[in-house]
Amino acid sequence: MKAALTIDALEVNFGGFKAVDGMTSVIDDGELRVILGPNGAGKTTLMDLVSGKTASTGGKVHLFGRDITNWPEHEIARAGIGRKFQIPSIFRELSVLQNLEVAVSQEPRVFRNLRLGIPTADRKRIDEVIDLTGLEPVLETVAGDLSHGQMQWLELGMLITQQSRVILLDEPTAGMTQGETSKTADIIMRLKGSHTIIVVEHDMAFVRKIAEKVTVMHMGKLLAEGPIKSIEADPAVREAYLGTGGLH
Amino acid sequence: MSNKAFLLGDRAVYIAFIVIVLGLPLLVDDVFWLNRVARYLVFGMLGIAMALSWGYAGILNLGQGLFFGVGAYMVAMSLKLQSWTSMQQGSDTPVPDFMLWNAQPGAPTDLCCIVPGSWLWIPFQAQWFGIFMAIALPVVLALIIGATIFRLRVSGVYVAIITLALVLLTRLIFIDAQPITNGFNGLTDLGWLTVGGIEFDPLMVGTYYIVAVSVCIVLLLTRWLVSTRAGLILQSTRDDANRARYLGYDVASYQIFFFTVSAAIAGFAGLLFVIVSEFATPTYFDIAFSISMVVWAAVGGRSSLIGAAIGAILINTIEATVSESEMFQQAWRLIIGVLFVLIVLYMPRGLAGLARDLLARLVALGRGKQADSAKASRNPAE
Repeated sequence: MKAALTIDALEVNFGGFKAVDGMTSVIDDGELRVILGPNGAGKTTLMDLVSGKTASTGGKVHLFGRDITNWPEHEIARAGIGRKFQIPSIFRELSVLQNLEVAVSQEPRVFRNLRLGIPTADRKRIDEVIDLTGLEPVLETVAGDLSHGQMQWLELGMLITQQSRVILLDEPTAGMTQGETSKTADIIMRLKGSHTIIVVEHDMAFVRKIAEKVTVMHMGKLLAEGPIKSIEADPAVREAYLGTGGLH
Repeated sequence: MSNKAFLLGDRAVYIAFIVIVLGLPLLVDDVFWLNRVARYLVFGMLGIAMALSWGYAGILNLGQGLFFGVGAYMVAMSLKLQSWTSMQQGSDTPVPDFMLWNAQPGAPTDLCCIVPGSWLWIPFQAQWFGIFMAIALPVVLALIIGATIFRLRVSGVYVAIITLALVLLTRLIFIDAQPITNGFNGLTDLGWLTVGGIEFDPLMVGTYYIVAVSVCIVLLLTRWLVSTRAGLILQSTRDDANRARYLGYDVASYQIFFFTVSAAIAGFAGLLFVIVSEFATPTYFDIAFSISMVVWAAVGGRSSLIGAAIGAILINTIEATVSESEMFQQAWRLIIGVLFVLIVLYMPRGLAGLARDLLARLVALGRGKQADSAKASRNPAE
């Protein structure tokens, strides 16, 4: 299978403290990968490094064979990486539809965007995402007035309209009710195959529901990688979680 | 959807504004009064520029007077050189009167070298150069300032502080360069704008129309600009710059572009103001003036271009009326300050927001009545 994202000995040094320390992992095209690890393992920092929020001090990131290490955020995004943040990050004063309209444009330049209206192809993609996320009834609502779950789905929907080939999800179910969590799982399952998805998550029930291959990080390094069943049985993983009550 | 009602209401306000502004000379033949209205329309234009940068881009520019003032000075230099009374020296190479007063004894009476730096005035002998520079220089300055600020990802209150400092710096430079700017006194006794042999006396209806048509064009152009995709993306950067970045937009380039457009409008307003008021002074660079623009936009509604324009015109009209009584003249600043605080706290969307809420209530009321009559027709017995 073709590799979508290759993380090669990635490292970041915050004045002596290595939050990510020689992390290596290959994520295949169309794969759904869950990243686990105790608090402070470096999961969110890893996402920061891949998406360009933090500059790495060593190692490489390749996206479909292209070296994207330490590119500016917007160029990494254009190259095909979409990121969802832990706290919903949406345009609160714009309507839901406008949020999607901002996400859909494949043209980043100012002067090329000095035109009215949305092309038909873009309009179609927006409609597809509205179907997928079930945001139809709230299209005209100002995004800041949405419920927490709806905000998360909107942000997820924006990444899909953006046509990101690789989607990074940082705790997509944080603060969600059970019903909302299960709907989020459904959306993610439907994306599987057409998008490469990397999820950082703590909710083990959710992880068991969606996960195939799991990567466990500890102290900024790769600890274990494999199917969820064998990971849960891995003594090294149990050791890392010791004191936090293990995987539960 | 009530959205349609808003769109209709919005359009109605724009049409009403343009009809009133363009039709005013048909109703009023007092040229002094028209001249006064023209000045307020120029301030309305400043309101539009402020709404664009503050309301749509989230950039609180407390130094908008910089661009207005620079625009004003550029065209004032050209008009000064057209002024018969201030250039009357019987010399073949006349210079503006104040340069003579500031010159060293024995300096040649020529723009090239009467005072240090007076050569800067030479190209302004062509009126079109002054008009061109009134927009070009603010644009270049805004590009430099904007590129520096926004590439470094400076945002929020720091933008306000930097722009405030810059306008004060500019004020200092213009006052300090007295030999070529006439310092505190500014450029007065200007000639009239001359286009195709027609002299535009500030008290002429034609001059009013130059301003009125300009304001309408600027209003419609900015309106178009914010409805484009670029305008929508700009608003998204205001709400969450990071999200826009992770969607693949170079946020700084959008901020720089709209900051520059706002500066160009302010420069254009400065140009027009000189044509109707016949002077340019360093007071344009005063903090109070730049902050007034913020107040106009806040009162009118910073997220509405036309709201901010109407806010500017309204406040200036009231100010001019009350300042005729001595007591109010003293209290005016206090009143406007309190008004600003109250509006920011309790009416953040200003008059435009108030108008929208009223419209929403009317629509809801209309629906209620429809529902009532529908009910009544279903149960005629009751």
